[in-house]
Amino acid sequence: MATGLARASVAHRRGSFVAAFLAVFLGAVILMSFASLLDTAGGDGVGKTDRNTLTIMASVVGGWGVLVVASAVATTLAVAARQRAGELALLRSLGATPGQSVRLVVGETALVALAGVVLALPFGYGGGWTLLRLLQNSGQVRDGVDFAFGASALAVGAGGTLLAALAASFGTARRAARRRAVEAHRQASAGGRHTSRFRLIAGLVLVVAGASCAVVTATSLDGSKIDSQSVAGEGAILTGIGFALLAPVLVRAVTAAAAPLLGLLGSPGTLGVLAVRQRFQRAATAVMPIVLCTAISTGTLTMQAVWNSAHPQLSADDKGTAILNYVVVGMLAVFAAVMLVNLVVAETTARRAEFAQLRLAGATPRQVLRQVTAETALMLVTGLLFGTLAAVASAVPYSLAVTGDALPSSAVGIHAAVVAGVAVLALGAALAAARRTGRTPMTTALRPAVAA
Amino acid sequence: MDSITRGGAAEALRLSDVVKVYGAAGEGEGAGAGRPVTALDGVSLALAAGTFTSVMGPSGSGKSTLLQCAAGLDRPTSGRVLVGGTELPGGGESELTRFRRSRIGFVFQHYNLVPYLTVRQNVLLPQTLAGRRRRRAGAEAVAVLERLGIAELADRRPAELSGGQQQRVAIARALATRPAVLFADEPTGALDTSSGRQVLKLLRESADAFGQTVVMVTHDPVAAAYADTVLFLADGRLVDELSSPEATEVARRMAALDSRVTAAGAAPAGPGTPVTAAARAFRTEVA
Ligand SMILES: Nc1ncnc2c1ncn2[C@@H]1O[C@H](COP(=O)(O)OP(=O)(O)OP(=O)(O)O)[C@@H](O)[C@H]1O
Ligand SMILES: [Mg+2]
Repeated sequence: MATGLARASVAHRRGSFVAAFLAVFLGAVILMSFASLLDTAGGDGVGKTDRNTLTIMASVVGGWGVLVVASAVATTLAVAARQRAGELALLRSLGATPGQSVRLVVGETALVALAGVVLALPFGYGGGWTLLRLLQNSGQVRDGVDFAFGASALAVGAGGTLLAALAASFGTARRAARRRAVEAHRQASAGGRHTSRFRLIAGLVLVVAGASCAVVTATSLDGSKIDSQSVAGEGAILTGIGFALLAPVLVRAVTAAAAPLLGLLGSPGTLGVLAVRQRFQRAATAVMPIVLCTAISTGTLTMQAVWNSAHPQLSADDKGTAILNYVVVGMLAVFAAVMLVNLVVAETTARRAEFAQLRLAGATPRQVLRQVTAETALMLVTGLLFGTLAAVASAVPYSLAVTGDALPSSAVGIHAAVVAGVAVLALGAALAAARRTGRTPMTTALRPAVAA
Repeated sequence: MDSITRGGAAEALRLSDVVKVYGAAGEGEGAGAGRPVTALDGVSLALAAGTFTSVMGPSGSGKSTLLQCAAGLDRPTSGRVLVGGTELPGGGESELTRFRRSRIGFVFQHYNLVPYLTVRQNVLLPQTLAGRRRRRAGAEAVAVLERLGIAELADRRPAELSGGQQQRVAIARALATRPAVLFADEPTGALDTSSGRQVLKLLRESADAFGQTVVMVTHDPVAAAYADTVLFLADGRLVDELSSPEATEVARRMAALDSRVTAAGAAPAGPGTPVTAAARAFRTEVA
């Protein structure tokens, strides 16, 4: 029954699958691009130095790329699976076994993820080719090296993304399915407050790992080489992912601190705080891409600015490296931005019934939008704060190592631009999605959720 | 059907010639490209303050639509609605919301409590949104909860309550603003018999002891008999009315109504269709 049901279910709620599809598609494109460098490195007639450069590039940059993509894909699919909790509870009470309901969710994911990965193939090919060109233009790889796209690109890019997607939906679905049917109904309406110990430990380990990268950068790196950026950059991303994992705890702390301030916004502010307090997990979802987007863009752009200010006369190779840096950051920042919009829209749209309940209790449309603004502000403050922290933790040691100054003056401008961009994206996505839910007549939205 | 107004008592609700067409041109409903459905076909009624009225009728006869139009949750296609002597405002959704917040309480079959708020916060929500001083409103909320015998649940969240308890909280929330009219759409529909009886007693008491005007849609003749008057709806029209109802008589009239509708065949409802014609004929018969 599982496949037929899964296909019907995908067709029925196309909107909520777009998020999962996009995550897998973009993630696979990025991972394939980097992994194809390994295929290229393995080609006939590739010299030893070229092979080393390509392998290092693929494994260092691609390594944290895997982390970013895997955590983003996992979060998106966990959200999709969590939003199905109510529907799964219904199936359970109709007699579906836990195994059947898990197979349904994982079957759906497989269908969507497969489509995403297959469509990603030509784009991953193009991405890998472009990366090789950039490496060649910056003189890091000889021009004679031919592009190859094969087993590594497929195994890491396609396989890795699929695996992350399936593992995430399996984990979330199994947790949901193991609950007794009655309990499942209640959980579906409550939405989690609990953060798993695994998540906390993994988050802490990554933050510590990121911090140690910063120490290495400050103490033992050769500041005269542009390559040292990759160690520092890795620090920003590791810390960023660590903070992203710790997001529920961080949101809780920020909410506690900011609650009196939001109270000044009137009842929508107060309600927003109450809503976030009961559902730190949900609020933390959007914090993840905010942290990553901020950490990656601010961190790497600032480090490039540091390098540029130390070397007013950039060599042709340095210029090439800079472009390569921009492309890599660009890819991951765009990915994080799409994830951000994706997750915010998915989470907001899923609250249609809740908004209608507020409206029934006397909230004007404007009050609902103000509450959404207050909640998004909490997530933004958390994400921007810790994203900036992650970026600073790696950019400052790097700047000290290269120039001896804490930070170049251009860092402020870079940071302001990133903050503004992220804030506009998050608020825009949340408000647009909330406004759209208001288009459904309230009386329809209040019917017991059929597709919510 | 103006006869329902008791002599001298203030008027809590008046509908004059209310028509609701779903899917009509210019109607924002996403009801698909199907032909328009006339859910209400010229309903007029007036209810005195402090009365408890039940609305019955076959499935699809327009009961929920009637309640939603009367409560300002939806706008009629034509006709007028007056609550507590004031017409529903014609402006935007915000204006309508403020009107509802101050004059109307609504209870659904599914309780529609906000999941992340406690019982107390849920009951206080309309006042909180209206920006009323918290302390006074808080005392009133506790008073209502005590009256309904659920004060000890004040700090729980909806997921920790039984269906009957949730429905009583929903009623407490609707009553806490002292609305001109409390509307309830199948409030006992999801409850077992004894929880259902508790809810019905509660509605009856709020009419008797506090002069609360109550309008309730139900499918259950026993529930309908808790009211002062039962109105019968068929194909979007009021076709019958019963004062001081007894459950057996309510059931008998409902059965008559059901057979009339069934006898008219499965033709789609709409102005001038056989079903409406049959209902019209029926109405003249009982009048
Ligand atoms: N949003 C809508 N769009 C289109 N048609 C609708 C909509 N809501 C109700 N209808 C139609 O209007 C008519 C009256 O519906 P309504 O929900 O008022 O019936 P009801 O008497 O409450 O029925 P029930 O007892 O089954 O709840 C029905 O024919 C229904 O199909
Ligand atoms: Mg109904």
